[in-house]
Amino acid sequence: MLLDVHDLHVEFHTRDGVAQAVNGVSYGVDEGETLAVLGESGSGKSVTAQAIMGILDVPPGRITGGEVIFRGRDLLTLKEEQRRKVRGAEMAMIFQDALSSLNPVISVGDQLGEMFTVHRGMSKKDARAEAVELMDRVRIPAARERVRQYPHQFSGGMRQRIMIAMALALEPALIIADEPTTALDVTVQAQVMELLAELQREYRMGLILITHDLGVVADVADRIAVMYAGRIVESAPVHDIYKAPAHPYTRGLLDSIPRLDQKGRELYAIRGLPPNLMDIPPGCAFHPRCPMARDVCRTDEPPLYEVTESEAGRGSACHFWRECLHG
Amino acid sequence: MAEPRGGTEGRPAPATGFEKGAGPAGEPILEVSGLVKHYPLTRGVLIRKQVGAVKAVDGVDFALGRGETLGVVGESGCGKSTVAKMLVHLERPTAGAIRYKGEDVTRLSGKALKAVRRNIQMVFQDPYTSLNPRMTVGDIIGEPFEIHPEVAPKGDRRRRVQDLLDVVGLNPEYVNRYPHQFSGGQRQRIGIARGLALNPEVIVADEPVSALDVSVQAQVINLMDRLRTEFDLAFVFIAHDLSIVRHISDRVGVMYLGRIVETGTDAQIYDHPTHPYTQALLSAVPVPDPAAREHRERIILTGDVPSPTNIPSGCRFRTRCWKARDKCAEEVPLLAVPEVFREAGGPAAHASACHFAEEKRVVP
Repeated sequence: MLLDVHDLHVEFHTRDGVAQAVNGVSYGVDEGETLAVLGESGSGKSVTAQAIMGILDVPPGRITGGEVIFRGRDLLTLKEEQRRKVRGAEMAMIFQDALSSLNPVISVGDQLGEMFTVHRGMSKKDARAEAVELMDRVRIPAARERVRQYPHQFSGGMRQRIMIAMALALEPALIIADEPTTALDVTVQAQVMELLAELQREYRMGLILITHDLGVVADVADRIAVMYAGRIVESAPVHDIYKAPAHPYTRGLLDSIPRLDQKGRELYAIRGLPPNLMDIPPGCAFHPRCPMARDVCRTDEPPLYEVTESEAGRGSACHFWRECLHG
Repeated sequence: MAEPRGGTEGRPAPATGFEKGAGPAGEPILEVSGLVKHYPLTRGVLIRKQVGAVKAVDGVDFALGRGETLGVVGESGCGKSTVAKMLVHLERPTAGAIRYKGEDVTRLSGKALKAVRRNIQMVFQDPYTSLNPRMTVGDIIGEPFEIHPEVAPKGDRRRRVQDLLDVVGLNPEYVNRYPHQFSGGQRQRIGIARGLALNPEVIVADEPVSALDVSVQAQVINLMDRLRTEFDLAFVFIAHDLSIVRHISDRVGVMYLGRIVETGTDAQIYDHPTHPYTQALLSAVPVPDPAAREHRERIILTGDVPSPTNIPSGCRFRTRCWKARDKCAEEVPLLAVPEVFREAGGPAAHASACHFAEEKRVVP
């Protein structure tokens, strides 16, 4: 396993109290595998990624437990200096908003080149040549001329390509992409996702794709982990989960999206609202919104049960996963 | 300003696909023709000179029937939000007419305009910035009554506001709370209640659910669906999410770079698209079904949308179109039922602004 996150806990200390953002998340990614982490805002999907990358804001954030085993060592025990070497060279991140992730007053060539001057000690001239090659590889037309331009001179899709180029620069083993195409238009989104998938295959990288879009997940992921209130509620190979979800939350999500290929009547709507992270309901965090909830759900927190009817490792944090699977 | 390309500005006469039979049944409640919005680009401080224009909307026609929902889809920058703003008179059109029950709203002023505006209300995209944080929910929803006091006499307003809260599924007791005490979905309900306050006949909703989480999105879509039957509302529903538009719309218009390029019923557009842009747009939408991955044909467009300051000659989509030929650069395609389909009829016979329109099924 390339990356193995085990029982990760993260909380945020704010003036109003302690927000339990991540409550015991475990997932793994193999070489060449794409894991989609699906969840709504506040589900803890991005915070988990930040903890893995070591870019969590501390304080107010605090990792209160767990391990992040990457290539055999626990990143959480490393000193900041060692972590900085891992970051960029061995794992890299692509953010949603390319415009605010790029420095507006430095040319894209210099920003890309910085990866090589800082990590590899290259000369500025060589780094520039590498930058041009990277821009070519992510198919930015006229790379040689555009390398001198600034972020605002690129379109949204092109900027996201630059972000991908930057992440790829040092050929990391793992890429975490946090909503990489959410800010883009559909036609551009398709271009960027295709590019990302192709590069991932070529370099055999592990990819963690964080998204709220069930369509994007179905298009590219191998496995999927669904998060709710800081926990993984279902984890499964992508085909299984769309065929028959084993958790009522996943089922609710799948039923609540309008479909392009059919004009349905009323949409299924999950009732209520996602929980307040400062006051997560006892028992199963989803029980106040769950159509299947019973007494045990209000008191006992469900572990991630192994869904025994599936061959490939599949888990569901629902006491009644069997019913859900067949219902 | 010299216009080198003869055909671009010369807009087609009324034959725009909304001729009899193609449009909504009965007399349209709202009819837009030749709608144009150009924002001038100027240079110089003392001597200002117009050097060009951002052609945000460049000739849009459509009609909206009573109680009908028209979906408008398009990518960012295609002008769909500018159309919305002109419909509710937040922007003045550079040219064209917006007829409400036959009367051109763009020529009205004073009392007459105010009366029309009462009947066309808007729901905004961002429920976080479209509500004043220092006003209570009661004041926000009741504010339209200040401007149109004839709708609700003063003593009756609080009750009216509470009724509206109830209609959109919020607790009427919340009338004294502030926007920050609500979630995104609840705020959008407040925005909808405000839009309904004056009993309008038309609601223009600009990306009303795109800022919401998936599970909450469905709640708000269902609410709007219910309200339009309950209040017999006509909707102009603007969104970039094609699945949502299909779900809610009776008819759909696809916009590209300031113009509608294809329009028809939802089945015509989604199951029988004939314009290459619509086909590319539909094929790019991720479908939540991993089994569709292998057998689905993707049309990946190259390049980006051209700048609206410099719109390509002829067909504005030709720079990204895989079918483009010489004719496309020379002649502006009109939004009309393409000749090839005119006689045969069937679902492919709907308005499509392409010289080489061809039916292609792209949704699995």
